[in-house]
Amino acid sequence: MSGLRADMRAHMRARGLVVGRGAFRLGPLELDLPPGRRLAVLGPNGAGKSTLLRTLAGLTPALDGTLSAPRPAALLPPPGEVEAAFPVRHMVALGRIGRSPFAPGPSRADLAAAEAALDRLGVADLADRPFDRLSSGQRQLVLIARTAAQGGALVLADEPTATLDPVHAARVAAALDALAGEGALVVIATHDLALAARQDAVLLLTDPPRTGPAGQILTPAALAALYGAPLAVCPGCGRPHG
Amino acid sequence: MSRALKAVVPLFAALLAVTGLALGALMLGPLPTSPAALLAAAAGAGDSTAQLALSLRLPAVLTAVVVGAGLALAGATLQALFRNPLASPDLLGVSSGAAAGAALALLAGLAPWAMQGAAFLGGIASGTLTLAAAAAVRSGDPRLALILCGVVVGALAAALLGLALLAADPYTELPTLTWWLLGAFSRATLAEAVVALGLTSAAAAVLLTLGARLDALALGEDQARALGLPARTLRLLALATAALATSAVVSISGLVGWIGLLAPHAARLLVGETAARLLPMSALLGAAVALIVGQLARAFGPAEIPVGLLTALVGAPAFLALFISRAGRRP
Repeated sequence: MSGLRADMRAHMRARGLVVGRGAFRLGPLELDLPPGRRLAVLGPNGAGKSTLLRTLAGLTPALDGTLSAPRPAALLPPPGEVEAAFPVRHMVALGRIGRSPFAPGPSRADLAAAEAALDRLGVADLADRPFDRLSSGQRQLVLIARTAAQGGALVLADEPTATLDPVHAARVAAALDALAGEGALVVIATHDLALAARQDAVLLLTDPPRTGPAGQILTPAALAALYGAPLAVCPGCGRPHG
Repeated sequence: MSRALKAVVPLFAALLAVTGLALGALMLGPLPTSPAALLAAAAGAGDSTAQLALSLRLPAVLTAVVVGAGLALAGATLQALFRNPLASPDLLGVSSGAAAGAALALLAGLAPWAMQGAAFLGGIASGTLTLAAAAAVRSGDPRLALILCGVVVGALAAALLGLALLAADPYTELPTLTWWLLGAFSRATLAEAVVALGLTSAAAAVLLTLGARLDALALGEDQARALGLPARTLRLLALATAALATSAVVSISGLVGWIGLLAPHAARLLVGETAARLLPMSALLGAAVALIVGQLARAFGPAEIPVGLLTALVGAPAFLALFISRAGRRP
């Protein structure tokens, strides 16, 4: 499988972006991210992480401001949200279903791309298994392979490591790194501070929101302000915590 | 290559089974014939026994095939879209609407063919009403809105039907209505069965073309939209197509339950979840079950047992057995 096509790599720019649902508002946000960059979004439950991802994906309209984002956007749902008994190969090939408006199913090329994506993530052996019989960690890797097969220039991952064991969480994190290495822009909403710390930039959904390089922005004080209480541990914070 | 072959073999076997069952249904009975005589009769030649058997049995056999396949297609589609194994063609209120339409036409004193037309229109009308009402509900889970609107529309149609039952003449109209509510494959004419076949084939063509898009829709609306599909439009198209198929077949057979629920489950065990394989397999198994039930209905004496009763008697325990074995297979 080759990397992302050069003409699909694009900046994501948000100016005064306000997102929300019902009475809920988040923003204004300023974002400027080149392709291949990875952004972690941190915020307490209900801070609007999922709403922000849906808006960046183009599923929910922005309430105010401007947004230009790479397309297609691929959505990686949190573990456990997608349930289906399709064979893994078919599940991954569904990433390419939007490409051909009238073909009834995945073409030979789509299936080959699906197998290549699975192979690159080291889960080629799962290709014939039903998706719903895999472990949560295996399912996440399969869905990341679908993202790669889709050719998503913007990958939006919603709590990609929630409920995963440490080994699978590390594999998922490495797989997302690989997507960014191919030129995709990766946005990860998470509560996993260690995962956030290894991304290029971090967006804290405080009021007002703050963005910056992970090493600078992840401090015990900033996280205490974000979550409204001091944290006993601060994995990934640039210095010892106490 | 072997994967493709493995996918085709069960479908081919099911097609053979349906063909065999249909031939058997045409041959067996008070006027036994041979396949060769039937073929000759179909070509307009052959002996008079075969010609008579063909003209008497062909409408019922065609009705069974079309009704079984149509209900199973609609059931498989709805089960995928609702991500719910208990979804059946009745879900959109279509069957109740068709029953109300048939009852009103009967009370209005319309001819039998008009009664079937009214049943079709009643099914389409209540399906449209359900889809429109669900579209008007803007908040919450769209699938839940559809299910609730289907229940509401079904209840309205059932009330209309109840009124019709009260108003019906107990000696002339009520027996016809009762027959319709219990289902039969032997009442439709060949022309009516052919019309239903045409509508069901059109619906099958639409659903098979949707193909893997149905699989993507089964993952949920957000997922389907993120995969680049116009999810709402496609879902509406699939639902309307399922409603069309249900209306078309219910209008020639009356209410026949369980096939639309059971056949897709059995098909899923044989070919898996993927729509491109599940839909044709469901249709074939639905046709096979309907042919068997149609034979059983005539097997016990001169009076035909209503097929709706038989499908419930056979279908309910079969479904339970399938469900238990499936649950055991997937802990």
